[in-house]
Amino acid sequence: MVFSFNDKLSEAFTVMKTESKIAENTPRHPLKDLILEVKNITKEVNSPEGLLTIVKDINLSVERGKPISLVGPSGSGKTTLLAIMAGLDIPTKGSVKLLGSNITLMNEDQRAQIRAKDVGFVFQSFHLMPRLSALDNVMLPLEIAGDPDAIEKSQIALDQVGLSSRAKNFATQLSGGEKQRVAIARAIVNKPKILFADEPTGNLDQKSSNAVTDLLFSINELINTTLVLVTHDLLLAEKCKDLYELSDGSLL
Amino acid sequence: MIKGFRYALNKFWPEALSGDLLILSLSIVLAVTSISSVSFLGDRLQTSMKLQASSILGADLVLRSASAIDPNYLELGVANNLDTAETITFLSMIITDEDNLLTSIKTTSESYPLKGELIIADFDGSLIQNSGSPPSGSVWIEPKIAETLSINNLTEISIGNKTFKVDGIIKDFPDRNSSFVGFYPIAIVNINDVSQMGVIQTGSRVIYRNMFSGSKRNLDNFVNDIGEIPADIRLQQADDVGDELGEALRESVTFFNLASLFTVIISVISAMMAVRRYASRNLLHASLMKVFGASKLFILGHQIMQLLLIIFFATLFGLLCGYALQSLIISALQGILTNELPAPSFKPIILGFITSIFVVLATASPYLKILSQTEPIRILRNDFSINISNNLIIYLVALVTMFIFLGILFQDIKLLSYILLVLIFVTAALFAIGKTLIYLLGSIKFSSGIGWKIGLKNIVNRGNESILQIIIFGLSLLFLIVLAETRTDLIDSWSETLEEDTPNYFLFNIQEYDLVNVTSYLLETANFSPSYTPLIRGRLLSAKRAGSDEFSSENLMEREANLTWQESLPKSNKISKGEWWNEESLEAEVSIDAEVADSMNLEIGDELLFSAGGSKFSATVTSFREIEWESFSPNFFFILSPSAGQKLPNSYITSIKISEQSDIMNLFTQRFPTITAVDLAAVIQQIRNTVSSASLAVQYIFLLTLIAGILALVASVFSNRDQRTKETAIMHAIGANRLIIFQSAAAEFFILGILSGFTAIIFAIVLSSIIFSQFLDLQYSPNLLILGLSFAIGVIFIFISGILSIRKTIYTSPIITLRDS
Ligand SMILES: Nc1ncnc2c1ncn2[C@@H]1O[C@H](COP(=O)(O)OP(=O)(O)OP(=O)(O)O)[C@@H](O)[C@H]1O
Ligand SMILES: [Mg+2]
Repeated sequence: MVFSFNDKLSEAFTVMKTESKIAENTPRHPLKDLILEVKNITKEVNSPEGLLTIVKDINLSVERGKPISLVGPSGSGKTTLLAIMAGLDIPTKGSVKLLGSNITLMNEDQRAQIRAKDVGFVFQSFHLMPRLSALDNVMLPLEIAGDPDAIEKSQIALDQVGLSSRAKNFATQLSGGEKQRVAIARAIVNKPKILFADEPTGNLDQKSSNAVTDLLFSINELINTTLVLVTHDLLLAEKCKDLYELSDGSLL
Repeated sequence: MIKGFRYALNKFWPEALSGDLLILSLSIVLAVTSISSVSFLGDRLQTSMKLQASSILGADLVLRSASAIDPNYLELGVANNLDTAETITFLSMIITDEDNLLTSIKTTSESYPLKGELIIADFDGSLIQNSGSPPSGSVWIEPKIAETLSINNLTEISIGNKTFKVDGIIKDFPDRNSSFVGFYPIAIVNINDVSQMGVIQTGSRVIYRNMFSGSKRNLDNFVNDIGEIPADIRLQQADDVGDELGEALRESVTFFNLASLFTVIISVISAMMAVRRYASRNLLHASLMKVFGASKLFILGHQIMQLLLIIFFATLFGLLCGYALQSLIISALQGILTNELPAPSFKPIILGFITSIFVVLATASPYLKILSQTEPIRILRNDFSINISNNLIIYLVALVTMFIFLGILFQDIKLLSYILLVLIFVTAALFAIGKTLIYLLGSIKFSSGIGWKIGLKNIVNRGNESILQIIIFGLSLLFLIVLAETRTDLIDSWSETLEEDTPNYFLFNIQEYDLVNVTSYLLETANFSPSYTPLIRGRLLSAKRAGSDEFSSENLMEREANLTWQESLPKSNKISKGEWWNEESLEAEVSIDAEVADSMNLEIGDELLFSAGGSKFSATVTSFREIEWESFSPNFFFILSPSAGQKLPNSYITSIKISEQSDIMNLFTQRFPTITAVDLAAVIQQIRNTVSSASLAVQYIFLLTLIAGILALVASVFSNRDQRTKETAIMHAIGANRLIIFQSAAAEFFILGILSGFTAIIFAIVLSSIIFSQFLDLQYSPNLLILGLSFAIGVIFIFISGILSIRKTIYTSPIITLRDS
């Protein structure tokens, strides 16, 4: 199993290399350093009412260091698009180039590799492990990657979100805002190059919401990551450099 | 994967101690405990039975004959490196100056006994010897002889033409049933004194025994070397004697096997529930790990390592418990097992590990797949539902493997097939009942109290979840009820052999003219009216197959046959083949013990030639009987029809019940000196011990299964606790008061409990009757008390634990509950 695992790894690297070569040879935006490039994404699913197109012909790109936001009414396909961009789901058509690799050509484990190394996530409903302490929750990605300095790095991350005093608390003992800050610490602990957030303030009151928002944008600069934010909060969306609006599965 | 292993190692203890893995671990512990205890036990019992069997023979192998045995056999034994010994036993009078007593004289060679213990003490009770034979001219006697003949260490006794010095008192000797009439007291004399006593004449009743012991290989070679043996010599080996060991012991071993099998099955059920809950709770964890970049193999590695650790620790703990339980049972059985037990082997330890691996494989394998293949997108969709139906094949394969494993383990395919069949039928029935219930409840419009209504609706809403719960409740109850019934009936049947009026004296040698006097004496003094059985001393000479002209004595041990004649079949006998005669039949018929018939190769219709009272007569075999030897009434291998037996000279025997303390029997022997009275008190006590030991042992093992059953019920109640908790919290939040919540949960568990309990009872009757008739040789009639009680307790238990499982939500603020989830 170990061997085949390594084989897949090297396969993944080969894919990444060839992909980045193609990117070098055919510069579409010669001056821009693109971290994410989405081309002609369409996602269809089977539903009881037949084939359903959730997102359609999406094209967008994200420059390194420039946060973007994705807004749109409920059910417009924001989460679906985010999942595809982050490699959590695969599109029916089109390609996604994340950090120079065409992730639509990769298998599940290869995409997982990229996520482990360079991608962070924040979710609307936090998704902390209830039976783990705040610190253990933050450590999760590092443990998966087998990082020997997991504890120190996690403490630093908790410190960055201002919750180092709550490290030993269990997730259930935290307020919603605090939970989301722990989740943000967890998302940044592996110093991701890109951070996906799906309605990070959706479950929070105004005050906690502001705190989380400030944190997200300050972190963007602090660890030099690029934020991809899904929200229907226009105020929040407008803080980003680029704003895409989704309606009925298509970009406006 | 290696990373996954490492991660599991780091996270093991907190996860293991969390509820779901704890229930899984406990299930494994119980399965291992029961398998290993029974295996520890079986191992040791078997070795001990063997030891006991050879001590019953006094050797590993015995040649036995009514006439002198060719000395070549002993030489052949020595040539095969076997230890040898020799005994000659006959009946003779021991005569003192004042009195005399008919005694079984056992003459022995130096090396007697080869197996078992001979304990000889002096008159002060201190041990003087425990093997060999007394020196020529000395005799060892049983205490009974010393008592009856008032013998002290100065008394000289004579047997035949020789006088003996009494050298010791026999405390114990191994081959008790080797003498042909077990009821006479024993005296041991040196075999070299036989000729000087001069009591053996042609026609005397004598048993010659050549005894051999040694390694299995040497014994086999020896048996090979002796080849065909003459018909009058019988070869007995320790292996054959095993059967003669207590019926209770054998039945309790069957029960242990049954109980441990049930425990394993029930443990698998609770492990299934536990794993299921564990998996659905860990789906979030696994999906989250996927999002953060864990590979399939990482998650697989994590889960496998975690399970391996659980298997390891739970098995160790289970083995400890198994060993402890086994020691408990052994100590309970101490009354039955006279020998020092051999140390247990390693087999149970290996079996324990294999068992737990199978339990885990059978229950966890589908979830390993589900967890490792979970899609990370579940996190974004908040979708953590588990759908097992795509993985039913894995389940099926795993369960079938489990059954094959159990089949190999218990080496009883018949039992397992029955159980599997019942299992399938019950599951199907429970499934159908669940479906119907949901359908019916779904279509009814309720008008009664609101709380109850919600509960009933919840059953419908939960759909498959409710059906699963009915199935699990039903199965656990089923196995518990069957075992409870088996346990009770076994213990009852054992103690039945010892009912209050079990006779404690046998009276022999009652002559026709004494009958009236004995009856009136017993009526007057003890208010006891005896019934007499005629006893004809005879000998079976030869047999003739129906249709053939020739009598032959082949296969018949030239044997002393105590005969009787009867009009009707004795109570403790059962016809196994043929038919009992009509009272008025004029034919000379004989009914034989089935086992004897088998060993002598007799068939219905054969004609047997007997000699009795100086004349010969023949009788036709018309039936075989199975005799319940434990019953304390006189039993006979051969029973003649009235027309064959009536005219033969006979004495009578009877068994009577006299209160132990009274001196009626002392006066009786003075009044009727020619009648022999044999006190059965010691034998009865022995059997009492056996019964109570076996009963206690059975209780212990039953307790284990009971614990497993309770665990399964609890695991099942808790299997959808999360969902329930959330629902109650929401109900609470939208304004339902505690009473309503309580009522709804109560209604739900009550209905589920009643239905599963009811189905369990019906199938328990089916399974019990199969087990009773096929595996225990007991008559089955449903034990209404046990059935009713199990039903009530089962339903109440499900009800109470169901309520307890949501207790927290009833009494805590819904906010806290909702926040937790
Ligand atoms: N696997 C699926 N099968 C069927 N329909 C789906 C599936 N996934 C998403 N949808 C549908 O696609 C549409 C878009 O869903 P999506 O979750 O992307 O919306 P959203 O913009 O994130 O909405 P919200 O703001 O409410 O979170 C919805 O109507 C949803 O029901
Ligand atoms: Mg969404």
